[in-house]
Amino acid sequence: MLSEQEGTMSGTSAVIEFAGVNLSFSGKKVIDDLSLVINSGDKVVISGKSGCGKSSLLSLVLGFVKPDSGKVVFGGVAVDGKTAWNVRREIALIDQDVSLGSGSVESFLEFVSDLKVNAHLDFSPHKLMKFFHLQGILHKNLKDLSGGERQRLAIVVSVLLNRKVFFLDEVTSSLDANLKKKVADYFLKRDDWTCVIVSHDPVWLESPSVRVFDFEEKVWKH
Amino acid sequence: METLDIPLVNLAVAFLLLLIPVGISIKYGLKLIKPLFVSIVRMTIQLALIGVFLKYLFQWNNAFVNIGWLLVMIVVAVFSSVKSSSIKVSSIFLPAFISFSVATLTVVFFLNVFVVPVNSVFDARYLIVLGGMLLGNSLRGNIVGISTFYKRLKMDSNHYLYVLSLGATETEALMPYLRESVQLALKPTLASMATMGIVTLPGMMTGVILGGASPEVAIKYQIIIMIGIVTSTIASVVLTIVLTKRVCIDRYGVLRSDVFRKETPSRRKKL
Repeated sequence: MLSEQEGTMSGTSAVIEFAGVNLSFSGKKVIDDLSLVINSGDKVVISGKSGCGKSSLLSLVLGFVKPDSGKVVFGGVAVDGKTAWNVRREIALIDQDVSLGSGSVESFLEFVSDLKVNAHLDFSPHKLMKFFHLQGILHKNLKDLSGGERQRLAIVVSVLLNRKVFFLDEVTSSLDANLKKKVADYFLKRDDWTCVIVSHDPVWLESPSVRVFDFEEKVWKH
Repeated sequence: METLDIPLVNLAVAFLLLLIPVGISIKYGLKLIKPLFVSIVRMTIQLALIGVFLKYLFQWNNAFVNIGWLLVMIVVAVFSSVKSSSIKVSSIFLPAFISFSVATLTVVFFLNVFVVPVNSVFDARYLIVLGGMLLGNSLRGNIVGISTFYKRLKMDSNHYLYVLSLGATETEALMPYLRESVQLALKPTLASMATMGIVTLPGMMTGVILGGASPEVAIKYQIIIMIGIVTSTIASVVLTIVLTKRVCIDRYGVLRSDVFRKETPSRRKKL
């Protein structure tokens, strides 16, 4: 793993690094010369107006979009067409549309646990589903779930993947205040988890355990 | 038993039947006369030309010419399938041509070598006619299969990327789309096979019976041709998808936007 500035001193190491990254979509500049380091165990909230391209930061690390120039590094390895496949296996993503697909909840869980990469996992969702108030949805169709239920189901799956890095893109937008708090606490209390959170929600932004990165100004707020 | 030839005068009389649709169109203002006229003329001219062409093709019965003509038919079939998908023809013509050729030629040669007791496997009567039947009938399936695959993948790109983020291999992530496309492509063929003889009396059989063969011979040909159609449709849809995805999906496993025909604004920026 690459070490970086204070990272080496405190014994943590850089998990994600953007070095001079530029990105544009059909001629429109979305990211302009961004350099940013996220260390192991960090809880980082990316803030900024909606539609300003915050999610593309996550897409870059996952290799879903390629930078026009600059480098994106994960776990010390530059993300490219070859390494992206392994990078994806280290990250649990919840995308802002919660694109779980269609079919029953049960068949979705089966699909996820049947993937080769997850073969070694103990994929039993019941305890977590109970914890996030999701009892009795197993036989429902994904399309019939409420937005909040889908978000919590995606959260359950992300945890079951047993990964250490979480990309949480607006994961609390459809939850009520109690559940928002529950979800935020759940992720923020785990020291060994690195979380990159895209959100406008005060439940994340105002938590003392996060660092906030202003995406538009490209500065750390606190 | 010889088929009764139709004298040219009698053929002209057949056109008189068209007075009925023309009359109906006038009475109800259907505005069908012009398109009807255009289509009838086109059909007549095309068939007249192909009739003359096939006559010589059967007379020469040269293996190379026969194969050449079959390849021309494949090119046309590939064009019509690819054209109706949203992918640029230039990007996937070659892989689609290879898969159509492999699927069609394999089935035709199998039938000509092992099933129909022909003297030469390159015999125009069997090579071109059977090949044409296969291509014509698997065309619709191919159109549905190929365009569905890329359409769904594009529409569903957020979900597809989510599945990649779960750590799926490219094959694992694409499999649901492949399965759905092939099932959809095969649906009409399977349905018409299941009702064949009762609801549908297929053109092939009609042709063979009119050609002087007994119904027993006709159904045998119909059976082998249906088996051939199902086989070549599955094979060509799957092969085309497998070969074209190397062009249309990049090393990151992401669908390339530049292979699509009309430039649509990138949908990938939203994760």
